[in-house]
Amino acid sequence: MKYRICYLYMEIRKTFRIMPRMALQAVLLMTVMGLVVAVGAGSMKSDPLAVSVDIAVAVEEDNVMTRMALRYVENMESVSRFCHFQQVTKEEGSRMLEKGQVAAVILLPEQLVEGIMNGTNPAVTICFPKNAGLETMLFRELTRAGEGLLRVAQAQIYGAGDTAAKYGLSESISQMEAEIDSYNLAFALDRLALFETEDVSVFGSLSVIQFYLASGIVLFLLLAGMALYPIVQREPAAFGRQMERQGVGMIWQCFCQWFCGLLCMGLLTAMVWAVITTALGFMPDSLVWQLFPGYPEGASVGLRIGIAALMLITVTTFLYMLYSLAGSRTGGVLFIFLLSVVMVYLSGGLVPSVFLPKLMQAAGEWLPTTYLIRAAGAFVTGRGETLGGQCLAVLCLYTAVCGAAACYMRCRIRGDA
Amino acid sequence: MITVTDITSAYGRKQILRGVSFTAQRGECIGIVGANGCGKSTLLSVLAGTLKPSTGQVLYYGRTAWSDTDGGRMRCEREVIRKMTGYVPQENPLIPELSVYDNLRLWYPDKKILRQELEQGFLHLLGIGEFCRKQVSKLSGGMKKRVSIGIAMAGMPPVILMDEPSAALDLLCKEDIRRYLQVYLERKGTVVITTHEESELALCDKLYVMKNGQLGQVDRGLRGEALTARM
Repeated sequence: MKYRICYLYMEIRKTFRIMPRMALQAVLLMTVMGLVVAVGAGSMKSDPLAVSVDIAVAVEEDNVMTRMALRYVENMESVSRFCHFQQVTKEEGSRMLEKGQVAAVILLPEQLVEGIMNGTNPAVTICFPKNAGLETMLFRELTRAGEGLLRVAQAQIYGAGDTAAKYGLSESISQMEAEIDSYNLAFALDRLALFETEDVSVFGSLSVIQFYLASGIVLFLLLAGMALYPIVQREPAAFGRQMERQGVGMIWQCFCQWFCGLLCMGLLTAMVWAVITTALGFMPDSLVWQLFPGYPEGASVGLRIGIAALMLITVTTFLYMLYSLAGSRTGGVLFIFLLSVVMVYLSGGLVPSVFLPKLMQAAGEWLPTTYLIRAAGAFVTGRGETLGGQCLAVLCLYTAVCGAAACYMRCRIRGDA
Repeated sequence: MITVTDITSAYGRKQILRGVSFTAQRGECIGIVGANGCGKSTLLSVLAGTLKPSTGQVLYYGRTAWSDTDGGRMRCEREVIRKMTGYVPQENPLIPELSVYDNLRLWYPDKKILRQELEQGFLHLLGIGEFCRKQVSKLSGGMKKRVSIGIAMAGMPPVILMDEPSAALDLLCKEDIRRYLQVYLERKGTVVITTHEESELALCDKLYVMKNGQLGQVDRGLRGEALTARM
């Protein structure tokens, strides 16, 4: 027994000797990943819709009512996001359209608003260029949608007016029209008010930032494993045999190395977490809550520690198996780098899996990274239900299988020597 | 005393050792020579308990180390092997990232004993104390081999098994190793050594040539071409 304890103690000593070098590598990795995240966050901050449609509006008669109507249309939520209106003369508009400076020209006739009010409905002419681009097509669709909206509103008003007249309620028509207008303004023009909003996201219950934070954690853990080689490398066969002579079996040797790998990964993670926690202290509360809901409430701390432990155990065992399989340092590092990136990609960690081909989606379902990302998501949100029993069981199963495979490979290689 | 009787060993279908038998008395040095791949290291691995033979029996000072059971399976008495033998394999059984002292601690768990050995014991004789705090990866081949011998000497076993200890070492190191062996033999230790070095062969009381997995005794004074012709 004393030889076993002594061996474990020496492996731990070895781990602590190597730790500073590993910490440096982890800092470098974190810096690189941090830069990638910063660039990504910068691009996410900018307007996701790069399309801006310039529209020229030629008003034949410039009066207050027309300007009000134009401002109303400009500020409609679906229009204001894409369109930028500029008031021009008819000639200027035509010239701009020919030069491709605007996507369309709207010609507003005289007495537009009055015509709408008295039912003569003068036609609004919209001119599109011959070779319509994306902006023009987008605006055309918006126009069609607006046209449909107006038709419905008109049908409501005429229908109500005619019905009221038929049943001798002509004196109520103006009141009914006012009510129909108010309903249209409240519901039809603000279409979202009619529905309960439910966000359906390819990232599941996570926000975009949380999702990429989760997959970033998994990728970091896997890539940090590239520095783990000196700890989990196969000791020389002669050493293994000598230890066996002393009664320290291969299983115990494997366990000690795995344990030291776990210890090292745990310390690295704790170090990174300390850096993140310090950084969170300088961040505004709103951003912190967006990243880690509930932080730093005590209720989810235990859960987060549990999930972190489970993830570390699974990742370390997986890495241990890869190093057992690869044998050499170069092989192991290359193996881990390529496999990590490919696996995280197939698991939808870089591009959400719904955008991947079906075959890749199916392959991703079998990979440990898929479940690790889910666990990391639960870690980020602090909500245990997103982890789920199936995810927990699969991670435990992967740990057991990888551990057994690594032990088997090491024992077999030792036996061959 | 070592009694090896009818040891056979095979890797898969390939027979490596075929009925190897020999005896060695207390304070004797047994030399084994042979061409590469003839089975010398396999025999030493069996004697050291790191490889299971197919059949045969090994006794150390009358205590059974390997024996056939009734069911035809080999039974190993690890405790006997561990206490009675020290093993110096061809590769050095060292952890490169640790210091020499830490490596020695694995085999000398008792700090007091280790300190005594470093100050006035066999480890002192090997000169390990001088580079005890150095990291193993920074040692020369000769220094590493000395540490390996020091490890094999942990607990001062009565039998030392050495697998080509001087391979790839300079003349000075070879001479040092020969000197340590001489001291060990003077202390009535038994040595089984596989070697091609004349200086080490000169220490041997019995010389065996291994050919096709079989061991044949030759005149201990046999050297050069005459010895090569027997391999």
